[in-house]
Amino acid sequence: MIRTLLFALIGFLYAGLACAQSSTTQNSINLGLAFGASQGSLSAAFAHDWYLGKKKKFILGTGGRFTAYVAQNQYYETAPAKLTSGGTGLGVLFEETITANIDTFLISSPNVYAINAFINLGYQFSEKFSVGFNIDAIGFSFGGEKQGNYINGSQGQLTTATPTSFNLLLISDNDLGSLNSELYGKYKINEQWSIRAGVQFLFTEYTTKTEVQQFPEPNDRFRNKSLMIMIGASFKLK
Amino acid sequence: MKKLIILSVLLISVCCSEENATPTAPLTTNNDFDPSMATLIKSGTLVGVGHTVSGTAALYESAGKKVVLLDPFSSQNGPDLKVYLSKDQNASQYISLGKLKTTTGKQSYEVPGNPDVTDYDFVLIWCEQFSVLFGKAELL
Repeated sequence: MIRTLLFALIGFLYAGLACAQSSTTQNSINLGLAFGASQGSLSAAFAHDWYLGKKKKFILGTGGRFTAYVAQNQYYETAPAKLTSGGTGLGVLFEETITANIDTFLISSPNVYAINAFINLGYQFSEKFSVGFNIDAIGFSFGGEKQGNYINGSQGQLTTATPTSFNLLLISDNDLGSLNSELYGKYKINEQWSIRAGVQFLFTEYTTKTEVQQFPEPNDRFRNKSLMIMIGASFKLK
Repeated sequence: MKKLIILSVLLISVCCSEENATPTAPLTTNNDFDPSMATLIKSGTLVGVGHTVSGTAALYESAGKKVVLLDPFSSQNGPDLKVYLSKDQNASQYISLGKLKTTTGKQSYEVPGNPDVTDYDFVLIWCEQFSVLFGKAELL
C-alpha cells in the first residue's frame, strides 16, 4: 500500500509543480509520537507545503525530519532485495519473498536516529480537517553499536551492528537504511495548532560488523519494518 | 529527551513480563534418554551467571546422534530460555538445541544435524529474547 501511495504522490508532484504558480504556502513544525509492540518513535519535522488547485485543497510538500526509534527485542531480517526477492529491478514489487534466503538478527535494544528529507501529499477536506501521507526519501542514520543474535535455523552467533548510515528510498526492498512514513489525519484546533493522528510505517536497518549471513551470498544488512500508531501535533509558523 | 526516557521506561516495563517463561515442573514425558546406553563425550558443572542455575551438563553420542543431557538440573525461570551448545561462553558461535523444557529435573536435547562438536565446549542456558546468559557449563 505504501508503494501505491508513493506512486500517487509522485504523480501529484508533477501535477503540483505544473500549477505551483497559483499556490499558497505554509511552513510548519510537526511533532509525532508513535508506539507499537515493544517499540516506539519520536519525530520532529520542518515542513513546507504548497496548497494547490483552484480551491487550494491539494497539498504538496517537502521538508526535513528527525526520527528517533527505540525498542526492545526486535527481529531484523535480511534486507537486500537481491536476497529477499531474487532481483533488484522494478519486478521486485511483484515478487514473493524468498523465505529460504531470510535470516534473522535479533537486537535486544535497537536505537536508531535518522535525519531525512521527506515528501508530503495531502488533501484539505475542510477548513479544519485534512489527510496526508508522507515518506522519507533520502538522508542519513546514526546510533550506537548494538549486540545482536544472528539466527540461521539452529545455528547462530552473537555479533555487533550499527545503523546503516545512508538512507535512500528506492523500490520495495531495494530501499537503503532507515526511512519513516506516515498516513495521517490532521485537525486544526486554532490558527497555529493542529493535532495529527494516524499510522507510522518505519523501516530501520542495521549493518553487522561482518557478513554473518553466507547463504545464498554474503550479507550484512538487516531490516525491521514497524507499523505503529502515531499521534502528534503541528505548529504553523508565521 | 524526557519523552524519550519515559517512552523507554514504558517499553522496558512492558517487555520484561515473563509471558514466555519456561515450565517449572519436572518432565514426565520425552525423558527417556538413558545415558548408560550412550557414550559420554564430555561433561561439566552448570553454574549460574547473575542467576541461579545448577546441575550437570553432559554431551553423549548414542546411535550416531549427539545428545546433551541436563541431569540433575535446576534454573531460575526467565523469558525465552534456550539451551545452546556453544564454542564459548559468549555464544559467539552456537547451535541452538531449542527451548529449555523445564526449569527443574532431568532433560535431554538432541543436537540437530549431528555436527562435529569438537570445538563446542560450553552448554549455555540463554535468554534469547534479551540476550542474557543465565548459566553455563564448560564441558571437559
